Amino acid sequence: MVALLTLFSALPALAQEAAKEPAYRAFPLIGSRLAVWAVAQLHLNFAAFILGVPIFAVIIEIIGWRTGDAQYDWLSHELVKLTFAAFSTTALLGALLLFLFVGYYPKFWTYMTSIFFPTYGIYAGLFFAETFTVYIWYYGWDWLSGPRKWIHVSLGVLSNLFGTAILLVANSWVTFMISPAGIDDSGALKGSVWAAINNFTWMPINIHRLIANIVFGGTIAAAYAAFRFLGAKTDEERARYDWMGYIGNFVALSAFIVLPFAGYYLGREIYAFNQTMGITMMGGFMSWLWIIQAILIGVLFMGSNYYLWLGMERIPGSERYRRYVPMLIGILAFGFMVWATPRSMVITLDEARAMGGTHHPLLGFLGVMSAKNTAVNMMILTTFLSFVLYRRANRVSTKSWAGTGMAIQWAALGLAAVIVIFFGVYGYFVESLIRIGFSVYQVLAVLGAIFVVMAIDIPMFKGARSTGAIRWGTIAPRSQYVLILLAVTFTWLMGLMGFARSGIRQHWHVYGVMRDNSVDAVTPAIGYASNMITVVTIAFFALVLFIFWLGGLGEKGKAEAHGHAAAPVIAGGSGSHK
Amino acid sequence: MRLPVAVKVGVFALVVMGTYTYYANSIPQIQSKPPAELSLEGGNVTTAQLVKAGEEIFKTKGTCEICHRIGQKGTRAPDLAGVGARAGKTKPGMSAKQYIIESLLQPGAYIVEGYPNIMPQVDKPPIALNRSEVWALAAFLESLGGNVDVTLDDIPKTAGAAAAGGAPAEIKIPGDPKAGEVVFSTKAGCIACHKAGKIGASPVGPDLSQIAKIQTPDYIMKKILDPAGAGTVAGFPKGVMPPMFGQTLTAKEYMDLVAFLLTLK
Repeated sequence: MVALLTLFSALPALAQEAAKEPAYRAFPLIGSRLAVWAVAQLHLNFAAFILGVPIFAVIIEIIGWRTGDAQYDWLSHELVKLTFAAFSTTALLGALLLFLFVGYYPKFWTYMTSIFFPTYGIYAGLFFAETFTVYIWYYGWDWLSGPRKWIHVSLGVLSNLFGTAILLVANSWVTFMISPAGIDDSGALKGSVWAAINNFTWMPINIHRLIANIVFGGTIAAAYAAFRFLGAKTDEERARYDWMGYIGNFVALSAFIVLPFAGYYLGREIYAFNQTMGITMMGGFMSWLWIIQAILIGVLFMGSNYYLWLGMERIPGSERYRRYVPMLIGILAFGFMVWATPRSMVITLDEARAMGGTHHPLLGFLGVMSAKNTAVNMMILTTFLSFVLYRRANRVSTKSWAGTGMAIQWAALGLAAVIVIFFGVYGYFVESLIRIGFSVYQVLAVLGAIFVVMAIDIPMFKGARSTGAIRWGTIAPRSQYVLILLAVTFTWLMGLMGFARSGIRQHWHVYGVMRDNSVDAVTPAIGYASNMITVVTIAFFALVLFIFWLGGLGEKGKAEAHGHAAAPVIAGGSGSHK
Repeated sequence: MRLPVAVKVGVFALVVMGTYTYYANSIPQIQSKPPAELSLEGGNVTTAQLVKAGEEIFKTKGTCEICHRIGQKGTRAPDLAGVGARAGKTKPGMSAKQYIIESLLQPGAYIVEGYPNIMPQVDKPPIALNRSEVWALAAFLESLGGNVDVTLDDIPKTAGAAAAGGAPAEIKIPGDPKAGEVVFSTKAGCIACHKAGKIGASPVGPDLSQIAKIQTPDYIMKKILDPAGAGTVAGFPKGVMPPMFGQTLTAKEYMDLVAFLLTLK
């Protein structure tokens, strides 16, 4: 107690001393940058998980509530249990990150505080509100069941609203560092803090992160299910986690197909803010980074589709659709290769001579935005088609208009493909400003086709004749490794994109306003960054495993005592979980 | 022997991450280094040296090569081959050097047909060239087919001024750094406790070799006059630095010493 009193009495003096300290301090052994990098990436990974999973957990809970199907309620509770266990770790890492900034980058933090101080109170209030709501949501699962279920669901929705608001506040700090706004030439705030919050990249990153968090949450939940599937002792357990893995992947895939559009929006806003930054990002020292990103996204597309095709093997009646798989593989592989084709990149003189110019004479044409937009839109259409085939694998429509409906569906998909390819080719013959506008038509064509196909599909297969129930739990074990591959790849991709977002500032803490004068002002090369990303990703998964294991310990023996936690038996499946 | 699931999954995840890491390490490795500051004001520099310095800025800090090529038409910006020769004919009544300087400082004033208005002002952040660097860059561009006749006086005094918020603290101290170095080593005796680049080696006080990079001029000036009031750097004993420099140094010696310390970056 005496020691604590002495410490607290010394704090004001220490704070005064700190105010006179240098702009930077050196973190022992690894240096300040690596320390901040590791903790920030870990914090973001956990934060993405605890913000993303509750979004679809509450949707699943609502489905269970409205349909009366206990399996959905069990799944929702299982998902919230996972996030709940990760909650305190996220907060701990956030506090650690703050201490690192205050201690090792004091001048930077003082400057950020001079701009964003009014948001600190809001952030703390939101954090408290979210924690409070999630606690009641999780612990009140039994208490707020039956006629009080609507209160429980409302708490889930409320916790998501608080969580999203936290994301928006934190994003304002990060995006201000990339695209500062609302300040004068000396860097001081001109008027309201809102102008600094509402900078060029704030809203695009809000949208991109929100969607990416859902994808991330889905892949981690699916990987968790895969892990439990592989270690399952009974058929019932295997069936349950097969189903959970499928739902996790479905959620991830649904959000993933719109992520590239959010990415393009973000890229456009970066160019709108500062052409130099945009060009440095895409064609400067970071040009190779996008090749790696393309490979990772290619793996995600291929992996997701492969999982669906493997999943079809446990569905009686799916044989009739397997003939489409080679065509789908072909489109995905070609799209993958186009997307991974570089255009503007840093090369040596010898390499340029060997290639006959700065761009490859033939493949260089595939490296431009027209080709890449076309490729990604075709990959999204293909993935959607895989899902549609999976969805109807064990069902035969009994509607009299089924033939017409299917013809319209194929026509919609075909028309979308034609529009996408037409604008892709036409883009080579117009100026860049017009070409950028074409991507909107391509996106609208794809989204339109998805809407039309689903609008027909849902009524067409309502009350459809079943060719057999889905044999949950009989999926090939290699499919579970695909789910783990997707989780690992997406986590690694998040680390890579974090490096891109931070690296485009180059030697600036706040771009064009506050220069990085530390010993770490050099932006490292991609190899160094990837080593770091891998180390942090390993640490993340090790922590996740530990936390899940701890969470599991707490649940052992309790399952039978709670109605919600009584795991449903779905072996053999009812066919209702499409 | 049957391997536990955790081991199999762990090895699989490591192989996946290892593959990505190996690939990322096997492609060209490019760092982005912070640009160095160039100052030519008050110094003697030949035309050849100026042009060479400008070429370096063109390729590095100026980031010109991202959009411009020399001898090759760019999609975002014009080919700069021969720009020194044609610059004087582009805008009526404007000489080559006037046109080039305007293009660097106010790129939107004249747009070459067929190209978008995307060029940033080179003296503003994030490029933030200082006046000397704009001078050298203009000389290099003039040398591409023309005569180099640009002088420092041709560059507006305001060029680069707006960069102060983002560039390292630049402040004009009316002192002589060389004389300040002598004060540091002799009369003030700072060398007894501090290292400053190549001089001094004692670990009694903090190493000042990069003091201008990590501290403001304001702090440095205060610290000399009131060492205790300005605080003690963590890890060093308090009350060791003498508090009497305000009495023992003349005003000129004080300013010379500050000017010297501000060169330590």
